[in-house]
Amino acid sequence: MNNSGLLLAAVFVPVMGAFTLPAIGRISEHLRNALALIFVLASLVASAMLVPTVLSGQTITVALAGPLGFNFVLTADPLSVFMAIVSSFISVIITMYSFGYISHYPNRNEYYTMVVLFIGAMMGLVFSSNLILLYIFWEITAIASWRLIGFFREKQHVIKADKAFMVTIFGALAMLFGFILLYAETGSFDLAVIKGYFGVNPISNWIVLLILLGILSKSATLPFHTWLPDAGVAPSPVTALLHAAVLVKIGVYVFARLFVMTLPIAAIWHTVVPIIASASALISAGAALIETDMKRIIAYSTISQIAFIFLGLAVGGNIGIAGALLYILMHGIAKGGLFLCAGIIEHGTRTKDITKMGGLLASMPITAISFLFCALSVMGVPPFGGFFSKYMVMSGAFNQNVWIAMVFLVGAFLTIIYLFRLFNMIFMGEEKAHSEAEGSRVMVASVAILGILSLAGGIWISYPAAYVQITLKQMLGI
Amino acid sequence: MENILLSLIFVPLLAGSVVLIFLRNSKWPKDITALLVTFANLVATAMIFKSNFSFTVPWASFGFEFSLRLYQFSAFIILASAGFGFLITLYSVAFMREKSNSGIFFGLLLISLSLVNGAVLSNNLVLMLFFWEALLVTLWGMIAIGNKAAYKTATKAFIIVGISDLCLMAGIAICGHIAGTFTMSNICIGVGGIGGLAFILMVIGAIAKAGSMPFHTWIPDAALDAHLPFMAILPAALEKLLGIYLLARISLDMFKLSHNSWASYTLMTVGAITILGAVLMALIQKDYKRLLSYHAISQVGYMILGIGTLVPIGIVGGLFHMINHAMYKSCLFLTGGSVEKQAGTTDLEKLGGLGRMMPITFICFIITAASISGVPPFNGFFSKELIYDGALERGMIFYIAAVLGSFLTAASFLKLGHAAFMGRANREDVKEAPISMLAPMITIASLCVIFGLWNSIPLKYLIQPILGSRLEDYNFAGWPTNTTIVWVTIAVLIAAVLNHMYGVKRTGSGLKAVDHIHHAPILSTVYDKAERGVLDPYNIGMGATTIFAYCLSTCDKATNWIYDSFIPTITDYASAIIRGLHDGSVKTYIIWSLVATAVVISLLLK
Repeated sequence: MNNSGLLLAAVFVPVMGAFTLPAIGRISEHLRNALALIFVLASLVASAMLVPTVLSGQTITVALAGPLGFNFVLTADPLSVFMAIVSSFISVIITMYSFGYISHYPNRNEYYTMVVLFIGAMMGLVFSSNLILLYIFWEITAIASWRLIGFFREKQHVIKADKAFMVTIFGALAMLFGFILLYAETGSFDLAVIKGYFGVNPISNWIVLLILLGILSKSATLPFHTWLPDAGVAPSPVTALLHAAVLVKIGVYVFARLFVMTLPIAAIWHTVVPIIASASALISAGAALIETDMKRIIAYSTISQIAFIFLGLAVGGNIGIAGALLYILMHGIAKGGLFLCAGIIEHGTRTKDITKMGGLLASMPITAISFLFCALSVMGVPPFGGFFSKYMVMSGAFNQNVWIAMVFLVGAFLTIIYLFRLFNMIFMGEEKAHSEAEGSRVMVASVAILGILSLAGGIWISYPAAYVQITLKQMLGI
Repeated sequence: MENILLSLIFVPLLAGSVVLIFLRNSKWPKDITALLVTFANLVATAMIFKSNFSFTVPWASFGFEFSLRLYQFSAFIILASAGFGFLITLYSVAFMREKSNSGIFFGLLLISLSLVNGAVLSNNLVLMLFFWEALLVTLWGMIAIGNKAAYKTATKAFIIVGISDLCLMAGIAICGHIAGTFTMSNICIGVGGIGGLAFILMVIGAIAKAGSMPFHTWIPDAALDAHLPFMAILPAALEKLLGIYLLARISLDMFKLSHNSWASYTLMTVGAITILGAVLMALIQKDYKRLLSYHAISQVGYMILGIGTLVPIGIVGGLFHMINHAMYKSCLFLTGGSVEKQAGTTDLEKLGGLGRMMPITFICFIITAASISGVPPFNGFFSKELIYDGALERGMIFYIAAVLGSFLTAASFLKLGHAAFMGRANREDVKEAPISMLAPMITIASLCVIFGLWNSIPLKYLIQPILGSRLEDYNFAGWPTNTTIVWVTIAVLIAAVLNHMYGVKRTGSGLKAVDHIHHAPILSTVYDKAERGVLDPYNIGMGATTIFAYCLSTCDKATNWIYDSFIPTITDYASAIIRGLHDGSVKTYIIWSLVATAVVISLLLK
């Protein structure tokens, strides 16, 4: 298959495939599960096969001309392939894990359809190089996640799903308005055309603000963050998918794509965005220390860590941006692992309240070690992968603005404290909740893979770092 | 050579991982692996001791280089750590025999050694940070495998050291930014402005690793909760070596410090406060191991004070004290381990008269206790005299603090020795420790004697070459030149003995020999608070963090209120108003239509 074929396959195999799943599910559960995995795997494999080409410095474009600037353009460059591999890889693990997790619940056909559709839309979003196309995929992810958050159909769950949907849609509409303003000025939605139009002149602050509203609401950053902890009512693999690995990374990805790579923005944003992010990092870390619901704590932790990614991207400088990209990778793996561990614990103990847990190390040793590894990676402790990303982001921040960086340092302190509080209350001390088994084999294997990858990501840092360096060259045109 | 340096890092690491994963529950293989690897590590570090070598291989992009440098200082530190590593492994084979987690202990010990080798050999700050901070994980693990509540202490240690490591990380980021390089041997920056911030952050990282105040409070807790060999290897030896190594590198090489800079005074003040604060706490302890752990903190103060003086004699003293302390303190912990294993407890209330039943342990205790108290001619005496000399040169107040510290140190060791080894025995059936536990103790105790009597050997071959040109051709080997200081020291030691005799006479018990200090007017209230943990910076910090977190969480809840209450309420009101307009009467609708038409027409006509 040639490169354009691979690119189309990465997006459209899961998007189209998703709709076949309900029909197949009526025939065979196993076949449906296998196909769901294959569709997601196809995205991963196709994206991975694009790596040699993009590393050689080429970009692959599939374009279909449309009227009035509504071109259908998919572009594979190092950044989009990086993001596609990270998200599809974590999605593969999460899909695998779902086989064990979701098998006792009703509506499994809908579940797999929505998950695969979501992942396909994510792929489309990552590769699209046209703002309208990007917006369409953006909204598909919102719809899919709305169904998935309210999956259990309880009244409160549906309300929370609606909340998540409405907050992100509000942001998306603001963003769409920003896109339209861009169109009014440049006459195109095509990113390449827009980039050529502006050159190095900063774009209007109003446009930046509108698009930023969309980005911040999707990436759950203050003040649009509260839907994320509430969305913890979803099934655990969904929370992993939405909160950790994929959905919340959409915002930061689009930030990198638009404001770092394509559109020149006024210097003030390099201060404003880090300030917003620092408030977000601190407030969510504080909330994580107070909450007692396991999944809400991890969700708050996500908000806090996303702020670090924004910091790295927004302060500029090579090391900060590179750190932010690595952060997307390391945090995706580690946080995905934490949510999946939470799923195992929730299944085993039938509770999410950490005050009712304790001493689970004895009955869930593999989960405990995986949890610890992932937590250490999120804290940024070597030799785990998160060390490098955290160090590089902090280093980038200290190069630009010492005081904002000091606020983030406090955020990093709190990260250590709340994650250890969580670990101790779940796994150490007196055994309060008892769990017979650790969970199905495929679930335990999934978290073990993510735990080991958190460690391997640090030990073999040179590979992702080399990739990120090439990405950086291409992004910044250096 | 490259291969030797790399194997110093990777062999213990791999061996440790193998022990952790495969040999964890084996009977002998884990002990044999640990012994062989630590011994090989010792031989290798001894063989390359005299070499100078550095090399760099690319590691990851963005200025991260895998850059190692072997020279006098790093060679000395890894040799010392290898020595302790081997001796304490030997000791642990017997000590940990019946303990359930000994496999994990040996695995983590090997990995720690590898990380220490890596951190000390690194010539790139980020690489050093990588190894340095990774020690957090082994530290946590080694404490957590102790008794039931040990995980709490492990977490406390992790949080304290982890936060200070993050400070170090920030300091390194700033330092590299100013210097434009992360290669340690090329960095030389000032402490003005943002450089000062980098200096403070890096010093926090260094002294927290060494266990200085106010980053110390996990150590006494760990003394009770963790396995004893852990105390002997990490807080007593390796962490001191590492922390003081980095402190020396920061304040001597990487930052340009002048004698009158605030940096020097800050270091000396931290040192002086640590000496006095910790030794005062040590004085009143009633547990063998806990008492020792406070001294492990107090003695760091001498090293920081010595290096902080920034005069050659003080620096040499500080570094000499570092190695001396690592020796006598790890040996003291080992005597504590023997007592624990043979007598079944380290509670001083229940101990007594062990000197007759455990004579070799007792002799090792006497030698090392004399060393730590600065009794001539043991090693601690000589390093302390050098530090006194340096401190006196910089300010009388620092000297007085140091000497007062010595008085209290001597007093508390008189108490400890009296309570544990002399007096009436509670049990008569205690036996001497097995030979594999005695051998490391005897070795280290003899080294304490050798480093004292022939102090020119360590000073000339180990310590003074580190300073290079900074030494200004001084030679501090031999008997101290300043005889006044020696007389003061001797007077202080005699005072300590008299104080002890007075105390014993007053209360009739060795254990209560310092009660008159414990219950002195102002001190007793301070002691009371300290014992309840009210003054523990960790508790204060965590309390403040909780309050801070509540405030932040309130902000979060307020934001959430907008979404959960405010917006729905507004929407409800708005829809109620609009719903009210639809009253179902045709008349109303016609009026509405006419009004709207009128508005449109008026707009069109304008």
